[in-house]
Amino acid sequence: MDRITLSIVIGALVLLVIVVELVRQRRLEEQYSLLWLGAATALVALAISRDLWDKLAIVVGIAYPPTALFIVLFVAMIMILLHFSTVISKLTRQNRQAAQEIGLLQWKLNELEKQLAQRASGDQPQP
Amino acid sequence: MPIPLPPDKRLLVIIPAYNEEASLARVIASVKAAMPQADIVVIDDGSRDDTARVGGIAGAHVVTLPYNLGIGAAMQTGFLFARDGGYDYAVQVDGDGQHDPSEIGEILGPVMAGEADVVAGARYIEDRGYTTPWPRRIGIVILATLISIVVRRRVTDPTSGFRASNRQAIQYCAGHYPPDYPEPESVVQFARAGLRMKEVPVTMNPRYGGQSSITPFRSFYYMIKVILAIMVDLLRQPPRFGR
Repeated sequence: MDRITLSIVIGALVLLVIVVELVRQRRLEEQYSLLWLGAATALVALAISRDLWDKLAIVVGIAYPPTALFIVLFVAMIMILLHFSTVISKLTRQNRQAAQEIGLLQWKLNELEKQLAQRASGDQPQP
Repeated sequence: MPIPLPPDKRLLVIIPAYNEEASLARVIASVKAAMPQADIVVIDDGSRDDTARVGGIAGAHVVTLPYNLGIGAAMQTGFLFARDGGYDYAVQVDGDGQHDPSEIGEILGPVMAGEADVVAGARYIEDRGYTTPWPRRIGIVILATLISIVVRRRVTDPTSGFRASNRQAIQYCAGHYPPDYPEPESVVQFARAGLRMKEVPVTMNPRYGGQSSITPFRSFYYMIKVILAIMVDLLRQPPRFGR
């Protein structure tokens, strides 16, 4: 194993450990950890198999094989960011619906309290 | 001229308001004068001023959103209120005084007569002296042209929020309403959902007070965002009813 391979494997393993630890502590939901785990695993797999790495570089037309690693990382980053955008959009939509419900429920609650206060004060209840 | 509402029909006037304490009481009073039988709901879109209190004192129902969601989401809240309250018709009147409530009859008439599911009051069908700053006017013309092509019907004022809807349209809007800058996009959505829409000429006033949400930079952003939204809508399956 040459130096660069070793460095990349160590870096990727550290990333794996951090991600797993975050999931274990429940600071990261499993569903959002999958992409990170996938990216780290792909990085390790590529780093320890020079053959695969060289072949991939030739297939996508990269003259200098180690660059392939950066491409893999870059693509993984883009996918993760895009995934986050979809997650944010979903949260925005759910948040909006929740806020609308809160407003409508608050109005209903106020109406009920008004009716209740009227009855308690001995007035005829409103029809 | 207050128009008669059939005794078995219920009308809800929805007033979306964001920081409109200066004009809201006047708007509510003129709605009451024009449509004494209507229920009024103010959707206070997370205002930082006294909008909610002013609305309550003026005799409207007030639904206060916990934070600012944007005009489209506020209107959708109004449509949810109308749907859940079993209203037959809903009319949108902006809280800034731009729309003249004495003209509610003009837009509600064709809806009650069954001529259309949604009727919008349009500023530019007849010249009634309403002037729009020219950058915004150009934006509206571009949007109107694009939307007219898409819906295959002449639309002159797709940005008008002065609208009347029947029960079918209320149910549709409660489920699908664009969250911000909703009016032009909703014209396209209505057409694709099979709702019949119509424009009638109305007069619009300059706002009574407060601040317009549309600055020159936002006009441009508005146009780009709306055109994009309309294009993306066209790539979707036609929307279905229900949430």
